[in-house]
Amino acid sequence: MYVWKCWRETRGRFFFLLTLFVAIAILLTLLPGLQERNGSLYFDRRDYTIPRHDPSVWVNLVSLMVLSGVWGAGLLSAAFLGATSPGSEFETGTIEYLWTRPRTRASITLTHWGVCLAEMLMVAIVPTYLAATLLATLTGNWNQSLLLVAPWLIVIVGLPMLGLTTLMTALRRSASSGLLYTAAVVAVYLILRQIANGPLHLQLPPLFAGPALWLMTNHRPYPIMFPWGSLVRAVLLAAAFPLAAQYLLKRAEV
Amino acid sequence: MSERAILTEGLSKSFGTQAAVAELNLQIQPGAVYGFLGRNGAGKTTTMRMLLGLVRPTKGSTRVLGHDPTREDELMRILERVAFVPQRKQLYPWATPAELVRMNKGYFPRWSDDAAARLAQRLEIPMKTAFRKLSIGNQSKVALLLALAQEAEVLILDEPSAGLDPVMVDEILRTLIEDHVSQGHTIFLSSHHLGEVEQICDWVGILEQGHLLLESRLEEIRQEFRLVIATGEGLSVASSSNVVSATTDGRFRRYVVAREADRFAAELRSQGAAILEITPLGLRELFLHLVRKEDSCTSGNAGAKREAVSSFS
Repeated sequence: MYVWKCWRETRGRFFFLLTLFVAIAILLTLLPGLQERNGSLYFDRRDYTIPRHDPSVWVNLVSLMVLSGVWGAGLLSAAFLGATSPGSEFETGTIEYLWTRPRTRASITLTHWGVCLAEMLMVAIVPTYLAATLLATLTGNWNQSLLLVAPWLIVIVGLPMLGLTTLMTALRRSASSGLLYTAAVVAVYLILRQIANGPLHLQLPPLFAGPALWLMTNHRPYPIMFPWGSLVRAVLLAAAFPLAAQYLLKRAEV
Repeated sequence: MSERAILTEGLSKSFGTQAAVAELNLQIQPGAVYGFLGRNGAGKTTTMRMLLGLVRPTKGSTRVLGHDPTREDELMRILERVAFVPQRKQLYPWATPAELVRMNKGYFPRWSDDAAARLAQRLEIPMKTAFRKLSIGNQSKVALLLALAQEAEVLILDEPSAGLDPVMVDEILRTLIEDHVSQGHTIFLSSHHLGEVEQICDWVGILEQGHLLLESRLEEIRQEFRLVIATGEGLSVASSSNVVSATTDGRFRRYVVAREADRFAAELRSQGAAILEITPLGLRELFLHLVRKEDSCTSGNAGAKREAVSSFS
């Protein structure tokens, strides 16, 4: 079935991304305890429980370090997994096979989207929750609210990118070309945004990456407001791009 | 089952200004084995793709098992009951045939594991080798296995034997006859190997530049169709509706006559022609006469070359 095909095709990328971000998360969690003595590196967990440190500030600081390493999990996994969408099967020549199975093109697009969403969640949740558990064990402070909420926001921010890659892959009928066009769209958007915010002084709010930026900047003592507008735009774009891709594929001929 | 297995009415498809299929009328009865012949680019694959909803017709209508493939809900009903082997037999390169079988069976309610196992053994398919590592012949066999194990009511096979050695072609044909023709399944088959078409088909349609030149029972071609070679000046064959094609080869005129060749020869003689030969036609000779680009006879029924001759009537 198509779910199995999607999993079979993306599992290599999934395990690579999962391993990468788990390694990053563990490394960044343990980094404050890593010390060099007599030319060799060793880990001292006492650094996590030194009385002069405010445990909550310390947890927050390490959490931010972890998030600086894993916040890209959503965007990266979205782009790489999105490039395996049904549109890429034009390039491989398997689209005739796929479209002569008794499944609607919409269901095929949505199945792929669902499998990618599940994988993105795993890539975001496993490293972050692992880091949270590790940090809680080391500090004895189990209040890890920042790390616990982070993967969900990382995935919500990643979903528009998944949709965009799916759309570009359908438009270009090729995985590599779809990825390239996605990168081009993002680059053009960032340049335009830089121009708007820099020389034009427009101070535009983030289009959809607000929640991820909020995670990185909402540290005490200067909490900022949660960017609800950006979250809504992320959700809308997350829905709009796959629908556009599905419409494109529905009208496509082989 | 009263409906036609495949029905097209005025089916046309153009790509820009290029007409790939023009005003195609097909009526394929359930249980028929129909050989769809034509040169490369004649429109065979485009026709098959229109039947499966992969390409939308520019004009005309089509029904497969009574359903319209241009409507998504009806297309799903078609795809559940139709097996397709495309010309380009490309499947997921990372998947083994065994994985492809497992993946495929979930799609089709009538899937037969027994048939899949039997075919794998009969066609000597290495089931645990990744598709990309298989030879072209083995890749074709996997595509055939996936189609045949569906136990579909209609099989649409676009050059199914391409890349197969003669022994395997024979195995495939025997499988089709034993497992599908005998079960009353409809087969719509395109092939450049006229020998295999003669071996399995009971109907043939010959397509050229999107036009159906001829549609007939194979038996009728063997029994009735004749090549009449004549020589003479100012021959007119306007009164005969049985001439399928008329070509000129130097001093000789060659007529392919669908029936009553003797009566046609007599008509020519009455115009002063000398009849050199009246010979039965095999499918290969008929095909070559119809699709070869020779100078058409300018008088009489030369235009018949562009009209489909159907034996349904």
